[in-house]
Amino acid sequence: MIQSNDDLDRRVRRLVYDVALRRGAPPTLAATADGLGASSPQIAASFQRLAAGRVLVLAPDSGEILMANPFSAVPTPFLVEFDDYSCYGNCIWDAMGIVAMRGRDASIKTSCGDCGAPMEVRILSQTLHSPRGVAHYALPAQRWWDDIVFN
Amino acid sequence: MLLFRSEEHVDRWCKAWRMERGATLTLAQQWQLAQAWYSADRQDPLWRRKTVDETEAALAAAGLTGPFWNVSPPA
Repeated sequence: MIQSNDDLDRRVRRLVYDVALRRGAPPTLAATADGLGASSPQIAASFQRLAAGRVLVLAPDSGEILMANPFSAVPTPFLVEFDDYSCYGNCIWDAMGIVAMRGRDASIKTSCGDCGAPMEVRILSQTLHSPRGVAHYALPAQRWWDDIVFN
Repeated sequence: MLLFRSEEHVDRWCKAWRMERGATLTLAQQWQLAQAWYSADRQDPLWRRKTVDETEAALAAAGLTGPFWNVSPPA
């Protein structure tokens, strides 16, 4: 039985990351409600609390999960390919984060932010095998959450 | 955070978009940071976001220090 908001939020977080790790993307609000035997308004409120705590990023109109970092719910320029599924990271940091979380070999397919040339980052046995390329952080760390979708 | 082929491509992108240049990481630094950042099990009931000190320690371990990487609230 769910006893408090904190308890519900922990269960929601657990389910969101369980689904994301198994399938490559976070669940919908309806699927989360079904999975926990809770109502949609209860889950919507939990999503909002987790977003306020910077655990999730929500789509502004629908209230659905946009990001359960490092996973993205929508396609991005950072495709992470495993042998069992492919998924999207929110940025190069998160794409690598997915590989770190799963501990499996992967290839990250992206492109140069400037010229669009295809780039591939391969990580095998948790070792980086593609040393070329640089990641650019446009905003200083204190401003990352000013606009996390841009960042 | 975007990936670029080289520092020269970062410069070109910043100029084209009239963006102030930020900071760049090597892929090795980025991988180290990703491992440190996402190593904790987010399904664990006891998981919590990193504190300011823990965040700055993770950044520093990847060689990222100085004002750009400071996450402490302004005094």
